[in-house]
Amino acid sequence: MAAYIVRTAFFKIITLVIISIISFLIIHLAPGQPSQIDPLNPRFRKEDIARYRAAFDLDKPLWKQYYLFYKKLGSGELKSFKDNQPVLGKIWRRFLNSLPLFIVGTILTWCLAFPMGIPAALNPGRLYDRSTTFLSYFFISFPGFFLAYLLILGVARFLEVPVLGMRTFGQETAPLLYWLNDRIWHLVLPSLLGAIGGIAFLSRYVRVQMIEVLDSDFVRTAHSKGLDENTVNYVHALRNAALPFVTMFGLLLPALIGGSVIIENIFAWPGMGRMAFEAILARDYPIVISLNFFAAILVLIGTFISDILLVLVDPRIRL
Amino acid sequence: MTIKRLLVFLPLFVTVVLLQSYFWVPTFDDQTRGSDRRLTQYIQGSIGDAQILNPILNADTTSSTIVGHVFDGLIDRDKNLRFRGRLATSWRIYEETYFIPRPGGPTAGELKDRIREEVSAQSVPWAKEVTGVEIASAADEKISIFLPPSKKGGKPRREAVTIAYPRRVRVALKNVDQDFFKKLKALLGRDAIADDPARYLPGGLDERVKKAALARVNLIEHNPIIIFELRQGVRFHDGHEFDSGDVLFTYESILNPRNLSPRVPNFEPIKNVETPDRFTVKVTYKRLYSPAFGTWGMQILPEHLLNKKTLEAEARRLGRDPEKFTMRDSGFNRSPVGAGPFKFKEWLSDELIRLVRNDDYWEGPAKYEEYIMRIIPDPLTQEMAFYAGTVDSYGAGTHQVERLRKDPRFQVFSGLSFGYTYIGYNMRRKPFKDVRVRRALSMAVDTRKIHKYVLNGEAEDITGPFVKQSEHYNKRVKPLPHDPKGAERLLHEAGWKKIGGKMIKDGKQLAFKLVTNNGNESRKAISQVVQDSWKKIGVKVSLDRVEWAVFLEKYINALNFDAVILGWSIGLDPDLYQIWHSSQTNRNQLNFVGYKNAEADDLIVKIRQEYDLKKQIGFARRLHEIIYRDQPYTFLYVGKWTALLDRKIVVSEPGKDGKSRYRKILPTATGNYTYDFRKWLKIPSVPRFEG
Repeated sequence: MAAYIVRTAFFKIITLVIISIISFLIIHLAPGQPSQIDPLNPRFRKEDIARYRAAFDLDKPLWKQYYLFYKKLGSGELKSFKDNQPVLGKIWRRFLNSLPLFIVGTILTWCLAFPMGIPAALNPGRLYDRSTTFLSYFFISFPGFFLAYLLILGVARFLEVPVLGMRTFGQETAPLLYWLNDRIWHLVLPSLLGAIGGIAFLSRYVRVQMIEVLDSDFVRTAHSKGLDENTVNYVHALRNAALPFVTMFGLLLPALIGGSVIIENIFAWPGMGRMAFEAILARDYPIVISLNFFAAILVLIGTFISDILLVLVDPRIRL
Repeated sequence: MTIKRLLVFLPLFVTVVLLQSYFWVPTFDDQTRGSDRRLTQYIQGSIGDAQILNPILNADTTSSTIVGHVFDGLIDRDKNLRFRGRLATSWRIYEETYFIPRPGGPTAGELKDRIREEVSAQSVPWAKEVTGVEIASAADEKISIFLPPSKKGGKPRREAVTIAYPRRVRVALKNVDQDFFKKLKALLGRDAIADDPARYLPGGLDERVKKAALARVNLIEHNPIIIFELRQGVRFHDGHEFDSGDVLFTYESILNPRNLSPRVPNFEPIKNVETPDRFTVKVTYKRLYSPAFGTWGMQILPEHLLNKKTLEAEARRLGRDPEKFTMRDSGFNRSPVGAGPFKFKEWLSDELIRLVRNDDYWEGPAKYEEYIMRIIPDPLTQEMAFYAGTVDSYGAGTHQVERLRKDPRFQVFSGLSFGYTYIGYNMRRKPFKDVRVRRALSMAVDTRKIHKYVLNGEAEDITGPFVKQSEHYNKRVKPLPHDPKGAERLLHEAGWKKIGGKMIKDGKQLAFKLVTNNGNESRKAISQVVQDSWKKIGVKVSLDRVEWAVFLEKYINALNFDAVILGWSIGLDPDLYQIWHSSQTNRNQLNFVGYKNAEADDLIVKIRQEYDLKKQIGFARRLHEIIYRDQPYTFLYVGKWTALLDRKIVVSEPGKDGKSRYRKILPTATGNYTYDFRKWLKIPSVPRFEG
């Protein structure tokens, strides 16, 4: 077991180094300049541009830039081109903003996917099964941003309440209950939209797993033992069907960064996805590359955790 | 059956908690639900977040909007776009001039006496202008020559050179006069003034260095001087009194290379800034450069919060190396302190920036208690926030304004932008060398149709390179008519023949490529309209659209294009040097169409050297005429901006009886509706005004 962990960890680190090189190169080889150093600004003299480039290390050879970049990232010295703020601090603050969205989204996904999928598996081919199947595929294939606009339009036009951002302004001095509910209300739409694809997908998966397990021998045995329907379905069958989902938990980690670019932009949510998007537009290399790097770390950690969890949970796997 | 029950009740519970929150949130008609703070806040929607809230460092519109509320400059522009005092109460502009006598001719002393005599005898018409004639003693000037890398990837170099100036004659004038030396030569004779700059440089200089250094030797020199009288009793938001030291400090900070200020080029023509007393600032310039006056709209930094000592203390507090710690690193940039109408309160990245009223503002406090910049990156959702009453104003697109124009809850403003969109022709290339071809191409395009159909009518004709509502714009220049037949006649004159629907010369059809940047829908539409119009007169045009960075690198900066659709956004100062002067036609420069005209060059230089507004306007209008005649661009349109406001926002002014009276917000003659912002106020219900 220990050997397995060490070996896996080693290969993940190698992968990480390769990713760091590739993501660094791709961004630097793309055309364009960071917006602060716009050579087209008519008032900029050649020497001013040269000075800027030197200050941001852009005048050095690529391999040296690469070295300096990760060195500065590691020591916390790395700063955004855009506002000169340390990159790590910026990412951390945005991470805290994205976190509630992620948590509520995850709760919604896991709370709704199981109740939606299980009854469909218990009565396959019936009206409920067919309608949830239709809905699931509908939401999987419907573009999320379009749905977001429809929802925002609907809520803003017909209910005339604010839906954008993390809170309503002017509520700073409102009583706690108003304040708290205002925050919750602003979470509803974006987290629901973020979760909707996941609910659709996961409920399908639950259904398939359940159907497969319900067909197996031990379920028949349980029935013939005379256990009541609910115990068989919800205790014996569900436990086994839920096994693969344990590993999916690990894979959720990277969604912290990547999953919300579009939703955060549409809802003016000051989170990490939004920061990534804006950094790309401004060619703010330090932020773009750092986020890329952290996303890679999260993916690797996620898969690592999944690998280990699976070994721990499933007694059938022996190393 | 706990699991089954859990699977039913948990989702139900989560849903109820989430949805019940709806009943606690304020609506558009009930904006004060929970709290009535909303009426005292002005919330501006913005697409992008600010970057750095320091007037000498910021380079984006959101930052400069915020900085404009937190800081004040020495001057700004009034309703008619003329300058008015802010932190400065008044100013005076005059000049000192210097010249080197020609070696071997009359000495500096002789020339001085000669001029003094003429002036006291009033024998020259300009005698009244002269306020003093002196000798300036010999002096060395150390300059630093910047040498760009000679090959790609090389390092740029700096070379120090000393110019040895001999005794010179100094003449002080009441007003700046760019023709003074012409007049002086008429008096003293052509030969009185030195003409060989190489004499004053040290020997043995490298060729490249020498070439650059020669241009820096001033045989004659104009030193325009501005004296500002400052407003007394103005306090920064922390209570510290504003004085001339702050102005000097702001200037020095901009020039300090460690700060990497993007404002450096604006202040580079300054020779020195002095502070004769606490409330007087004297600025001396190296040369004639009239746009420099406008740069004193620059907001003033508080010296006591950013000087070397304070920065060092801050660095030590943060455990950073004081040697490497610059103004760019200071926490000031995220919590600025100025002397403007609003104080900075908080900044939540990509969410909001909150300012609160400065009750101690020298012009009296604003009516609003808070100014909030709210960041919503998407124009459509901005509109939704506007409906919900959580944004008071946003940069509404023309189609959005159209949708809301008739809604009684809102008020609409619109005006002309500062800038224009054009088709630029590469005048180095064959067909475009001929002015008749360029005029023909312009005449074939129906700009009115573009305004109407592509831009929903939110555009106007423009015929020249100045801001259309400014005094420099020549309203007498009439746009070329839309006349395809006339266009064909012009092309026939230029030697082209229309055969079988094709314009042909020397066996080849008139054909070229029109390029523009990707992602700009109106430019895309325009390129198609134009292609069609030109096809009708037998000109074949292929279209290409590329991503912005590539567009600049491959086409514009490399001067590798036939024709492009682009736009300029321009400022009020009429300096056109970079875009139109013939010296700016190389790679990476802005006169990429390669426009060269000797008379235009002369006018461009005269405009940037003229301090008298009336004369400057005269030069500018003539230049406008010449450029339009030459048609290096087909001027397509000047766009209109539009803005929406909640109708509950009004101007509150004291009436005759001393009580406040409300009136509608009216834009100034030049279209600026936020001019009275300090007097704006939101009232609980939509008001009615008479008349």
